[in-house]
Amino acid sequence: MELSRAFLDELTRIVGARGVVTSTEGRLTYECDMHTFHKGMPDVVALPETADQTAAIVRLCRRERVPVVPRGSGTGLIGGAMAPSGGVMVGMNRMNRILELDLPNRCATVQPGLINLWLSHATREHGYFFAPDPSSQMVSSIGGNASTNAGGPHCLKYGITVNHVLGLQVVTGAGELLWLGGKVQERPGYDLTALVVGAEGTLALVTAVLVRLTHLPQGVETVLASFASIEDASETVSAIIAEGIIPAALEMLDEAVIRAIEEGIGAGYPKGAAAVLLIELDGPHEEIAVQSRRVVEICRVHRGLEVRVARDDAERALLWKGRKEAAGAVGRLTPNFLLQDAVVPRSKLPRIMREVLAIGARHRLLIANVFHAGDGNLHPLICYDERVEGELERAKQANEELLQACIALGGSVTGEHGVGVDKAQNLLLQFAEADLNFMARLRRVFDPDGIMNPGKLLPSHPACGEGFRPRRPTLPDGAWV
Amino acid sequence: MPVSAPALSEAIAAIVGREHALHDPSGLAPHAVDGLPPRWWASPGDIEQLGRLLTLASMEGLAVTPRGSGAALDLGNPPRRLDLVLDCRRLDRVLEYVPEDLVASVQAGASLASLEARLGQHRQQLALDPIGGASRTLGGVLATNASGPLRFRYGTARDLLLGVRFVQADGTVTWGGAKVVKSVTGYEVPKLMVGALGTLGVIGEVTLRLHPVPPASGGWLFGFETETSAAGFVTETLASTLQPDRLSLLNDVALRRAAQPVSRLAVAVSVSSVPEAVASHGESLEKLARQHGVRSITSGEGLWQALAPALDGPLALRLACEIGRLLPWLGQLEARVARLGGRIAALGEAGNGVLRAAVLEPPLERLAGEVVAPLREELGAEGGSLVVERAPLGLKKELDVWGSMSPGQLDIMRRLKHEFDPAGILNPGRFVGGI
Repeated sequence: MELSRAFLDELTRIVGARGVVTSTEGRLTYECDMHTFHKGMPDVVALPETADQTAAIVRLCRRERVPVVPRGSGTGLIGGAMAPSGGVMVGMNRMNRILELDLPNRCATVQPGLINLWLSHATREHGYFFAPDPSSQMVSSIGGNASTNAGGPHCLKYGITVNHVLGLQVVTGAGELLWLGGKVQERPGYDLTALVVGAEGTLALVTAVLVRLTHLPQGVETVLASFASIEDASETVSAIIAEGIIPAALEMLDEAVIRAIEEGIGAGYPKGAAAVLLIELDGPHEEIAVQSRRVVEICRVHRGLEVRVARDDAERALLWKGRKEAAGAVGRLTPNFLLQDAVVPRSKLPRIMREVLAIGARHRLLIANVFHAGDGNLHPLICYDERVEGELERAKQANEELLQACIALGGSVTGEHGVGVDKAQNLLLQFAEADLNFMARLRRVFDPDGIMNPGKLLPSHPACGEGFRPRRPTLPDGAWV
Repeated sequence: MPVSAPALSEAIAAIVGREHALHDPSGLAPHAVDGLPPRWWASPGDIEQLGRLLTLASMEGLAVTPRGSGAALDLGNPPRRLDLVLDCRRLDRVLEYVPEDLVASVQAGASLASLEARLGQHRQQLALDPIGGASRTLGGVLATNASGPLRFRYGTARDLLLGVRFVQADGTVTWGGAKVVKSVTGYEVPKLMVGALGTLGVIGEVTLRLHPVPPASGGWLFGFETETSAAGFVTETLASTLQPDRLSLLNDVALRRAAQPVSRLAVAVSVSSVPEAVASHGESLEKLARQHGVRSITSGEGLWQALAPALDGPLALRLACEIGRLLPWLGQLEARVARLGGRIAALGEAGNGVLRAAVLEPPLERLAGEVVAPLREELGAEGGSLVVERAPLGLKKELDVWGSMSPGQLDIMRRLKHEFDPAGILNPGRFVGGI
């Protein structure tokens, strides 16, 4: 859409000349997030420094019926932070400070552009950390984590972002600037905070986040176990959970991913194994001592090849570095891949992994796996080469079959990445019309004019023509899952 | 055109069966809400019947109050009007439970106790323990966002509810959320239903996150004679790496009513883990308590079940504040009630900043003006609240049981209500801001 000179002037008055990006080269950076399949360049990028400026932007856009697209660090994997119908992209990166650490109340107030890991760095010396740990945490912003309700390896024990957000300062689509929730943990009324978390900017822009801080555990043990088959590893996962042990994290990596990681950074994963489990236990010393012994036994009973406990923090850190950079490393194996984020009930893990292998074989495609096994949250990377005729089509078909299989087992189409434009139509697999209508009406309550991140989160009728342009379906090097 | 009352009685009976419907005034008296008897009572046998009852209610403009065990039927302002009580207790089945998934889908009328019995066979639990709430239904517990001491470790309903099937005011059966532990497909609809008192929809079925029951547990009651010593113990426990399940605070009146060793204040702690960790926690806690001048230490096995009588009574308050301010607020509440010649029995969640209190021998006519109003004003400064959870009708008519809300938030809440229940048939007038 063409924005008028008067509109741009007014926007510039709000954020200042240094707060707007209008050049084509400048806006190019903002045309997609880590999901480069879908691109859409905003007509202008605004970089507010205060909540009041953010509110003024939304009010201006509402008056002129111009789309508003929020963006944090742009590490999303679903095409959430791009502008399919143009409009104003609001980059929150300049609002990146910790506003308050309140240790007696175990919480912190931060601006949305603050990098996730910075908060844990700032609180660690006091004995606390911010539990949600998406693999992108060294670059992704807390506002983005809140807006996508991000997960991460350790949400197996600690829960996802919504479980750690006590309050939000927001600007709704109606232009209201207000605080939802707060430090006091119980309050009468509807839980509006939880609604805005995970809403991907379709209800409101987030201008501050009040997060819960979690006490660092007494101790940590990390177990690495390798297996000759994915099936053995999957059964080990189910057996650990069935034993009543909830590790802090329980991750699986298959042979292809291990190879890619070892060729890349060399994290010390055993080469040649069909699957590796990374199992982290944290809590009271005596508890993790007993549980890690039991976990080692369970791995051995399920035909574990090499089972070892990380000796020290350095070895543990290296194992995690390998895991967190896994998806980027897969770039070594394949020119292109499609990434899935579906979930199955944990007891169905062995079954779905057999299905993943069968689907890959059927379509003659390598499907690499690195995922949050303890939660049943899969991340199959369907590898293909766009230069080979028909491979993309086969990859898409495999992707579709995988999603269907997960839903048939009672799962979900996305466990932590979110919906964005990428998975909007997939919601039709999981929800009936009445369910989607309820959500669409909910959206209208916050955003009466449909200006907030249009085309995202909910499926739209194809005839509506949101105008996004499909591009090369791949992830760039260095994406995190 | 509205149909006649006898025709409506017939229509309701046709949906649920004659034996599950009432329209005779004498039978309806026990189903009164805040003294207002309904014109009909019906108990649906499945969610489809629940949907048809609400379709009928919305077509005829009948005001509906859903209920479970009735334990929290007093919560809320007196209804503006009431025609039909929807009794959900026949919806009591466990629909899906695969222990290996640590997830269960259950109908809303099932009681916490019945679910606990079923989960206990597999050493699993739903970590929601409202004091004295075992006979309460899941739907009621979620709709009122009831919680208990276990929230310190496991969170509240919003952290444990994964999916919900509910019926909208117009009878549309709707699903929100997922049946797996992780899902970010759209808005957090289940969390919208938590604590909404059935004003946006009636909960019919819930999918819940479960936790394993750890192999061992222990409980202790630490008695203190001064606020300073109790506060020191609590603060230091919270700042330590100890991992209690529960960390509750009781005053002397509550201890006496629960038949526990009496001290000015007591801190009740439970720990569950492997036996070795429970034992070492016990030692650490006792050491900390001694450092803070503890007067008595009692092993508290079975303590939590015994606490229910502490909060019994016709007048109950729930105070929410910043975590570290719980003791000062408790003192304030005690002093204000004492000035009127009454006493309170108080049970607080020391790690969460929530306090429940039964007000005993209260001079009702002065309570609203001399206790509730001034406390609310002072609590407002830190974003706290004081909810009158249970009170005689006379007192309820003098105040808003929820207190006031910030106008901006209330406006959004009213818009939500208007969107999903434009005719205002779901629990009209009972929720915040007259919703």
